[in-house]
Amino acid sequence: MARCRGTAESLCQGRLDLDDDKFGAMCTTAFGCLQEWPDLGAMCGANLGVPAMAGNGNESSCSGSGGSRKRKPDAYDGLDATGGANDMSKRPRGKRLSGISEIVAPGKGKQERPKAGTKKKAEAASAAAAAAAAGHKTDYIHVRARRGQATDSHSLAERVRRERISERMRYLQELVPGCSKVTGKAGMLDEIINYVQSLQKQVEFLSMKIAASNPVVSFDIVEDLFGRQLKQSRRSPAAALPAMALPAGQLEPSCLQMSHMPQMHPSAAANSTGFGLDMVVNNPYAPAGASCPVSAAASVSVAAGPSTTEPCLNVNGTAAWDIGSRNLFSGFVAQFQSVESDCLLNNFKMEM
Amino acid sequence: MSSRRPSSRGNISEDEINELISKLQALLPSSRRRGSGQASTTKLLKETCSYIKSLHREVDDLSDRLSDLMATMDHNSPGAEIIRSILRS
Repeated sequence: MARCRGTAESLCQGRLDLDDDKFGAMCTTAFGCLQEWPDLGAMCGANLGVPAMAGNGNESSCSGSGGSRKRKPDAYDGLDATGGANDMSKRPRGKRLSGISEIVAPGKGKQERPKAGTKKKAEAASAAAAAAAAGHKTDYIHVRARRGQATDSHSLAERVRRERISERMRYLQELVPGCSKVTGKAGMLDEIINYVQSLQKQVEFLSMKIAASNPVVSFDIVEDLFGRQLKQSRRSPAAALPAMALPAGQLEPSCLQMSHMPQMHPSAAANSTGFGLDMVVNNPYAPAGASCPVSAAASVSVAAGPSTTEPCLNVNGTAAWDIGSRNLFSGFVAQFQSVESDCLLNNFKMEM
Repeated sequence: MSSRRPSSRGNISEDEINELISKLQALLPSSRRRGSGQASTTKLLKETCSYIKSLHREVDDLSDRLSDLMATMDHNSPGAEIIRSILRS
């Protein structure tokens, strides 16, 4: 609360010698605060709102009051950066409540003459209180609260929560194409879900295409992606080893799934136009019930040697690899490399 | 509370919304990892935003790679043929 007061006061002082530049700066400050500190947001909104009511400055006051109500979407470009917002809003509710009710009381008297407060620096604090009261009103009109109703901490919190949800929804509406035509929350959520699903499929399909197109290049990509993953999650160093070197227990289920899926769907393998990868795209979340590890398959095929590639393919159970070996891959080594790289790629995607 | 109020079509029941929310949550990678603990709607929507952004980035990156691959590849090589057949499908 102390910090809140201090900021409000300084904002108030800034308002006293008001010019357009400062006002713009204050607008942006208020925007930033509005998300993190609901009560500070109310005060800032008040600071902006009072000159708007007083009627000096046309375009600047317009941007102030309009902005605090409409919540311009570009204020949320830094949405990722405001990760601490939720933590900060979890301060004790009682404290905030007392702060607000304390502000409301003097506000009733002062609200009729907001300009009087702005002229004397000595009255900065009381002006802030008046402004906050006015801002309290203007800010919460948005969430359909009337004065006198809003002092209950539960309803305040609920209102803030609903406010935030609808902000996010509006932001999502911009991200998802075609979502602005849909009215109603349910329709929007439906649209968002569909969009996310289609994006996921797109990513999966694209990565599969790349993996299928060139085994060597895909291996490079996977190495690249894998490095990024390591940087992000700081997993155990064992994960950095090639999949074939890992014992069965350390492999992700998706790796196992990779080599066993065709066995679980023999008809799919037969009907597939040629690529095991397609089947993986179609069944990304099939249960990885198979217990034979990739490393076992690898050791068998390595022992068999390059001259007997066909048995090796049978161990992996993929008719698709068979086609791949004839059309796409020059030799056994390249082929195995691609098996390995696809495992890793799949692995990586499960991590995301 | 009735599941759907016939008087106002725009008013959809809480149950439906909750169902959609949990459906959305199942799509997000973070919730899949953590298990199905009901996170707050605000957090969920925020995560959805960042997830959509990351998916956009991913798609851009992958299509860039694919087009690079196509550009560098010999047009008559079997690999290019295969890519073309995949792209057609």
